[in-house]
Amino acid sequence: MRRSVDFRIRNELSEIGIVRDALDALGRELGIPMKALSQLQVALDEVVSNVVKYSWDDGNKHEFLVRITVQPTRVDLEIFDDGREYDPRTAPSPGPATPGQRPRPGGLGIHMIRKLVDTFAYERIDGRNHTTLSKECSVGSAVQGSDK
Amino acid sequence: MSNAALNIGQVRAGSVCIVTLAGRIDSTNANDVMAELTRLIGSGEKSILVDLGAVLYLTSAAFRALLVATDEAERQAARFALCNIAGHVRELFEMGGLLDAFAVHGSREEALKQFG
Repeated sequence: MRRSVDFRIRNELSEIGIVRDALDALGRELGIPMKALSQLQVALDEVVSNVVKYSWDDGNKHEFLVRITVQPTRVDLEIFDDGREYDPRTAPSPGPATPGQRPRPGGLGIHMIRKLVDTFAYERIDGRNHTTLSKECSVGSAVQGSDK
Repeated sequence: MSNAALNIGQVRAGSVCIVTLAGRIDSTNANDVMAELTRLIGSGEKSILVDLGAVLYLTSAAFRALLVATDEAERQAARFALCNIAGHVRELFEMGGLLDAFAVHGSREEALKQFG
């Protein structure tokens, strides 16, 4: 079993709802364990919102590709965009959070991605950014909602 | 679409305004959360409790919204706390190193006792 779905979305935050709902539907249909699915949703939101916010600064509309691939032992989330060259893994980690001293929010999303997925890869190919997040999980073995 | 993903409710317990968030808080709707919380603080509420018990997950955009509300509450001398952070959601707070950044209570009842 290997299912791969492509989505072309615009560089607007509201468009993230499209891939969020698609990942949900795939998770339900193919049996991605609930916890892994939640973690993948967070990672997807972090990486896609990063592209929407930072890949282009010309104020114009752009489209980019989000690919979700589900296999029996892993889920891959890939983003292909033709924005400026940027390796998201280079974002600084936020400092420790303490009361009265709020953490720097900048690198929080990237920090979350690192914690949530098993592979966080980036390459620049043919003038495009290609970011890949992979999470290992047992797909299809869990009935949705039964594993808390 | 983004509106269906998150419901923002409100109930009152004495002088405390309890905001209940249900669903997903992500980059498509975190601004709605921030707007509602800063509106409540701006309207003069002095005790705000956010109940996260029905949240499925939240992303860094949501954390930013809650941090902004925390700062705003501090500026307005209002009390601002979170409660019912459990399971996956608690793990996300831990991953972000954010449990210490907020006033966090176990249940709504414990929180209300603290608010006095």
